[in-house]
Amino acid sequence: MIEQRFKCPNCQEIATFYGNPGETKVVTCAACNTKGRVIIPGEKQDNNVAIEVSHLKKVYDDLIAVNDISFTVKKGEIFAFLGPNGAGKTTTVEMIESIRTPTAGAIRLLGADTKTGFNQIKERISILPQEFHSFERFTVRETLTYFSKLYKKRANIDEILDAMDLQSHEKKLYRNLSGGLKQRVGVALSLVNDPEIVFLDEPTTGLDPKARREVWQVIANLRNKGKTVFLTTHYMEEAEHLADHIAIIHKGKIIAEGSLQELLTTYGEKTTLYIKNCHSEDARQLLEEKGFEAHSSGNGDIMVKIDYKEKVLEVLSELRHECIEYDGVDIRGSNLEEVFLRLTGARLTEEAET
Amino acid sequence: MNLKIVGTDFLYSIRSWTRSRGTVFWSLLFPVMLILLFGAIFSGMGESKYTLYVQDLDNTDMSHSLVTILNKTNVLNIKNVTKNDDITKYIKDNNIKNLIVIPEGYENDITRSFSDPSAKVNITYYFDPTETQTNQILRSVISSVLEGLNMQLTQGKTIIGLTEQSTVTENFGFIDFFIPGMIGFTIMQQSIYGSIERNTKFRKDGILRKLLTTPITRSEWILAKMLFMLFLAFISTSVAIGVGVLAFGIKVNINLLTIIIVIATSFLFSGIGMIIGRFVKEEETADMAAGAISFPMMFLAGTFFAVESMPSIIQIIARALPLYYVNEGLRNAMIYMNQTEALINGGIVLIFAAIFFIAGVILTKWKED
Ligand SMILES: Nc1ncnc2c1ncn2[C@@H]1O[C@H](COP(=O)(O)OP(=O)(O)O)[C@@H](O)[C@H]1O
Ligand SMILES: [Mg+2]
Repeated sequence: MIEQRFKCPNCQEIATFYGNPGETKVVTCAACNTKGRVIIPGEKQDNNVAIEVSHLKKVYDDLIAVNDISFTVKKGEIFAFLGPNGAGKTTTVEMIESIRTPTAGAIRLLGADTKTGFNQIKERISILPQEFHSFERFTVRETLTYFSKLYKKRANIDEILDAMDLQSHEKKLYRNLSGGLKQRVGVALSLVNDPEIVFLDEPTTGLDPKARREVWQVIANLRNKGKTVFLTTHYMEEAEHLADHIAIIHKGKIIAEGSLQELLTTYGEKTTLYIKNCHSEDARQLLEEKGFEAHSSGNGDIMVKIDYKEKVLEVLSELRHECIEYDGVDIRGSNLEEVFLRLTGARLTEEAET
Repeated sequence: MNLKIVGTDFLYSIRSWTRSRGTVFWSLLFPVMLILLFGAIFSGMGESKYTLYVQDLDNTDMSHSLVTILNKTNVLNIKNVTKNDDITKYIKDNNIKNLIVIPEGYENDITRSFSDPSAKVNITYYFDPTETQTNQILRSVISSVLEGLNMQLTQGKTIIGLTEQSTVTENFGFIDFFIPGMIGFTIMQQSIYGSIERNTKFRKDGILRKLLTTPITRSEWILAKMLFMLFLAFISTSVAIGVGVLAFGIKVNINLLTIIIVIATSFLFSGIGMIIGRFVKEEETADMAAGAISFPMMFLAGTFFAVESMPSIIQIIARALPLYYVNEGLRNAMIYMNQTEALINGGIVLIFAAIFFIAGVILTKWKED
């Protein structure tokens, strides 16, 4: 709410009104009862936007780590910032968190400009830094209690322990926890102030697949609680599994952005249906005649490109119709790995740190 | 400034500290062991000879021969005091436990006694009554020497008598010297390494970045940590004093100046730790740098042995080291009761503390580049 003064066009009286920037209000002049419409000046704030980054840039000496990127994170979504090591993920997220100072660009967090208003929104956000390691000799519960006491707004610790499935570990010292548990505590920690936005910088790096899935579960729970999650990762499965919206960053630039489906349809290959051990050349020709793109592979399989999954049934019914024999089928869908490969010519996971 | 947050952090630091066997060992047990060990080695070195100071105001053949006879007993280690020294002041300044004065006219009186039966001369024996064992030995040695002389000179008549004068001097041993040194050393170690952990390990582990996004301010955090460091410093000081009093019976004066020096020392070395942590980012390397600074300082600044007994080049170096002034300040404040010296040294410690702590705070930042 901001205060705004207006001059009444009828009686020239100055009147004061309150409203949100950009809002249009019908007001009544207190002196002469004239009704009128006023627009509260200022940028109209989109209440659905959690993070707004525009033309953000970070230069280290002679390295441009983040190169003029812009994006918007909506409230309540899991936003995945996907990119290989050294792409500029941490630099970006830490600029949003006011830990690093941008070389150029602007960031609005929950409507506040982080350059000037970061302190005012500290209570409403929470972060898990990359490779975070908390105080060695606090128990799990103490760790949560300690950080919660730093805030005015405090969530119930028991509920957090419950939700993160940490009750059975609450008395263990942090230093004695496994890597997976440490990360779960790290995510749990980011809930102690019941924040609106949670930043997680590579929360599953270095974990084994089982521990990784457990952390994913915990992150999925955050969305269920209505939190906005800004997640950086170099695991495409993580983004595929969790994210509502994905931005792929490569060498400091966002090279693609959208929902998983959008990315796959825009940049991905078509799905390939493998018909196993089908040595009939007739079958291939038949499918070609029916308008499918079909190839024989060297080992006796037929590969058919299909646009979407429903086409599988169509292909199979054609085969059955002609009584063509085969051992089975295999469907290989397109994935983010492939999208990344197409966009950059490099593999996501093998990209060396620069 | 939110004091509740400061209090919380302080209490959590203590709790976490009690769980770390390493830190408890280094800040409590290690100093105790060193004190006991050094105390046992150096205080137990009993002298086989007793030192007797002699002021010969007569300076004649006879007085010289008395000194020679005393020397020949082989029990005494004779040290001469010049004629011009004021004896009471000399005893006080140099902490002299045993001293005899041969009066002017000694030879004269003895020679006169051959013709004048009433002629007599008295040797004065100054001693420290607290040193009962030494006194007994020295008194019997001196009396028997004088008796022998009387016998020789006059067949039994007492010409040379002995008057006794007790002077209370303060009795400072190695342990009195060592305990303040140990206190300074322990606080130095705690403060430097604690500060380094907070500024390197906590940075690497992301704790500082996490804190940066929570409402705690840097001043609240630093205040909480300094309170904790002071808590440690006072525990270590109490333990060192406790061992000194219980095991070695030292006398300690706890006064405002002692407390101020302890506090300033903690700030001083926390500041040095911050500065190291600012330039050496890896915890292990920073610890090594801290060792490279604190270990030589411990030896050069007179923690174990008086700087005055070292080569003059080391004495010059010592005066550039903050720990030297901590040691001197603490010794004068809590043991020697020399308040002027304590004040001067304490003042220098305060100046060092202000410089290093402020520089440390200014140089340390939580933000990343
Ligand atoms: N403090 C720094 N000083 C200099 N270069 C840095 C610094 N931090 C990161 N970089 C470089 O910036 C690039 C992006 O790093 P980072 O943001 O950590 O990437 P990511 O988190 O995606 O792995 C890398 O090339 C990295 O070496
Ligand atoms: Mg990173």
